[in-house]
Amino acid sequence: MKRIFVLLAFLMFAVPSAFAAIDTIAVDVGISVFKTMPIGVVPFAEPKGKVSWIEEKPHEIVSRDANLSGRFDVIASDKFNLALFSRNRAKHYITGKAVVLSDGRVQLDCYLYVSQTKDLLLGETYKVQQKDMRRAVHDFFDKVVKRLWGDRGVASTKIAYVSKIEGVKQVVVADYDGFHRSQITRDTSISMMPVWMKGNKGLVYVNFKTRRPRLYFKTFGGVENPLFTHLDQTYSPAVNPKTGELLFSSTVDGKTDLYIGNMQTGKARKFAYLKSNQTSPAWSPFATEVLFTSDRGGGPQIFVMGKDGSDMRRVTFMGRYNERASWSPSGDRIAYTSMDNGHMNIYTCALDGSDITQLTSNAGNNEHPTWSPDGKLIAFSSNRTGSYQIYIMRADGSNVTRITKGGENTSPTWSWFYDEINP
Amino acid sequence: MKNITKIVLTASLACLALVACSKKQPPATDPAAEDAPAAEATATAAQAGPNADSLAAEQARLEAERLEAERARLEALINQIMSEDVYFDFDRSELTEKARELLAQVGELLLKEQRFTITIEGHTDARGTEDYNFTLGAKRAMKVKEFLIAYGVSADRMESVSYGKENPKVEGSTEEAYSQNRRANFRVNIK
Repeated sequence: MKRIFVLLAFLMFAVPSAFAAIDTIAVDVGISVFKTMPIGVVPFAEPKGKVSWIEEKPHEIVSRDANLSGRFDVIASDKFNLALFSRNRAKHYITGKAVVLSDGRVQLDCYLYVSQTKDLLLGETYKVQQKDMRRAVHDFFDKVVKRLWGDRGVASTKIAYVSKIEGVKQVVVADYDGFHRSQITRDTSISMMPVWMKGNKGLVYVNFKTRRPRLYFKTFGGVENPLFTHLDQTYSPAVNPKTGELLFSSTVDGKTDLYIGNMQTGKARKFAYLKSNQTSPAWSPFATEVLFTSDRGGGPQIFVMGKDGSDMRRVTFMGRYNERASWSPSGDRIAYTSMDNGHMNIYTCALDGSDITQLTSNAGNNEHPTWSPDGKLIAFSSNRTGSYQIYIMRADGSNVTRITKGGENTSPTWSWFYDEINP
Repeated sequence: MKNITKIVLTASLACLALVACSKKQPPATDPAAEDAPAAEATATAAQAGPNADSLAAEQARLEAERLEAERARLEALINQIMSEDVYFDFDRSELTEKARELLAQVGELLLKEQRFTITIEGHTDARGTEDYNFTLGAKRAMKVKEFLIAYGVSADRMESVSYGKENPKVEGSTEEAYSQNRRANFRVNIK
């Protein structure tokens, strides 16, 4: 982003002001490193009388999914409009039909068409309660992504985060767009640092009920289980995406080390024997390497090593405070938080520390980046509006959208893909 | 978390109350419990005759006063230790000159009162990540523990824990608030 601003500044000086307006458009396109696909969205037909929608209408949910996805630009139109779609290069459009059934449920017929020919590419029917309609649309949208991009979309994924409820930090889970929030912990002591177990079966998190930070896991609908109780002060959990094993920090007598443990057997061993303190571990997508933070240089810096603790090398060199790296799902970049003048901002860089891109700036503190499982998006928390809330942006820092409202919401962690796509 | 501190304080005081058989602690429930032995003592004294009665009562009163004074003294000491926060510079865990002076006083108290055990809690200000702040808080608590060990306090009387940035003393995002929150503080228990 910084580089682009420099470019922008250069253009402003270099180009006569008469052309400034045109250049602004050009630079705008340039800021988004993403190639997005324009897509038409037309309100769903309601043939047998109007449906009284309790929240957003289906096409509004489609538009929100499309805009959040980092893959599409929505060309909205009240009705099918080939001229408009062609002008904006929207080769496809989404629309549908909504009918209220005799039992009160809604039948949603969702369609993806080719604009020019009106060929039907994809059609799905959902019969759902209105409250479940959002998830039905998410499901359809992920099928659209699959059809047009060949990738899995994230509209049916979730985000776990920490929400202050009646003054106590609790772990909650919501759909990736912030809707359908449900509270997972109900403790009088702080819960924090949630991460997803393999297969999205439950969460691992830290709780303070013993007056010390300790890891627990809880399957959805199950009970809470303490983890690795033979170790003192456990936190910073990271689930191995292949084996489900847990990498985490444990602090004994002021010294913090990484441990790796099996959540089923409760067995754990030290992961690396280093003089420095280590925390914030993160697995590479195929669990072959591990990112972590070490304070060996005084302040926190990001390092990488093999899964057997070998071949350690430093990744970040710019600035004095680089922390909490996470690996992009495609494996080519890392996102991390850096402190500058007391403010936290989110950066990405290549694995050798080069090609640093600043994603957030001049907007309070921006922390705790977490990649969407398709690598297109990054969720993070920011206090840019005064209180901490969760936001989603594209992986290039553009299109920042807030997904929580009210209270204090921090520490988002994106779920894995769901194996089965739910209706 | 503030509640926790309060609970600890209450628990410590309750402990004291048991040790010292106080009449005042805890205020709500204890008086009833205290009346019974006193009444019993009076009854026994009455059987022994008027002189013994007043003597026993006097002894009981003196004993109660002594215990009460002891309890008050310990409570004052505990309050003193619990109010002695040690402050640190940003992203540092080295003890400042002022911190050392203060810790020497705490060390002195701990050497005098061998029944006290302490938990040293390390904290950071609100800046930075939760994860790194846990390690930083742990380093601060450890520096305090090391100092007290060097002062002669036995290591098995002390445990250290990090709260990272989760338990600020002062809310807010000013340097004033930050400097108050970069601290180590003590929780006192009685063996």
